[in-house]
Amino acid sequence: MDLARRAQDGDESAFAEIVRRYSPRVFSVASRFFRQRPLVEEAAQEVFLKAYTQLGSFEGRGSLEGWLTRIATNTCLNIVRSAKRRPEYTVSDLTDDEESWLEHQSAGDGGEPASVENSVVATDLADRLLSVLSPEDQQALLMIDGEQASVKEVAEATGWSESKVKVRAFRARKKVREAMEKLLSYKGKRAGSVAE
Amino acid sequence: MPGNQMSKHITEILDKASIATLSESELNEVRAHVLECMSCRDAYEAARLSAVVLKNRAQVVIEPSPFFQTRVMAALREQQAVESVPAMLRLWRSAKAVVSTMAVTTAALAVVSFMQPSQTAPATEQTASVYSAYSVIMDQDADEQMSYEQVLNTIYDEDDDAR
Repeated sequence: MDLARRAQDGDESAFAEIVRRYSPRVFSVASRFFRQRPLVEEAAQEVFLKAYTQLGSFEGRGSLEGWLTRIATNTCLNIVRSAKRRPEYTVSDLTDDEESWLEHQSAGDGGEPASVENSVVATDLADRLLSVLSPEDQQALLMIDGEQASVKEVAEATGWSESKVKVRAFRARKKVREAMEKLLSYKGKRAGSVAE
Repeated sequence: MPGNQMSKHITEILDKASIATLSESELNEVRAHVLECMSCRDAYEAARLSAVVLKNRAQVVIEPSPFFQTRVMAALREQQAVESVPAMLRLWRSAKAVVSTMAVTTAALAVVSFMQPSQTAPATEQTASVYSAYSVIMDQDADEQMSYEQVLNTIYDEDDDAR
């Protein structure tokens, strides 16, 4: 609070310290929305500039980190909303690497992808699946199923009610599962046609 | 098929929460069911793989670069500099183009106005030539033409003579 108050009073070094201390948290939030460093940095910078102009509204009831997290979430949501829509998701776009990864996972290994390459493929697949969702539903699902955050934590980070978070997560999980089923059935069909 | 009823039930469990957070009894129920129901097996497999890829995606976190703080502070100073410029100056900057256009237009109009007399000269000549034509028609030389005053004087003189 002291740091926030000093920054409110125009102490530039106090604000610089806020940026230094909380930029990992803001980057973590922005990384849920963007995967490329320039986009994450741009979003994080916008978050801090917005936070500086809104410092007067921070009353110190909650933590500064929580306050910044909410600004970061809403700023990133606005950026994603105002950007052009991503191309439509098509199951036929499944790459060989993705198909191989799914094959490997479906074979019953069930374990986490070990190599960096596998991890990248899994992340690409996740983005492909998430693209069927609205930015808000993506956020709810990534936080709950990806980061194991509680409904309450998501509600605090976004400003939504807990029931709204639950509805978003349920709807998103269903859509993603159905999209994954489509991918798996496509993979099965493709494997069948190759065998013939 | 009784599996249809159960299948709906199983997918509800799968969509209710992440597989990682399902209770042991729920997991047992799902596992027992998928042994018999093909469509639920596909749904379970899809839910399991979705959980894996989402967990992977969540682990992708970009760390701030060492220069990020400097970058933000520079952007902040730039923003403050823009805000500190007086409002009238900002207004002048934005209106500069309009004012320049107006000045150029005024100058152009002034030049055109000064050029006007030389352009009207031929019109005067034309009037003169029309006058000459009148003279020809009335069979009078330009020197012999009478002014209105002369005409009136002549008329009055004639009247006086008549009396």
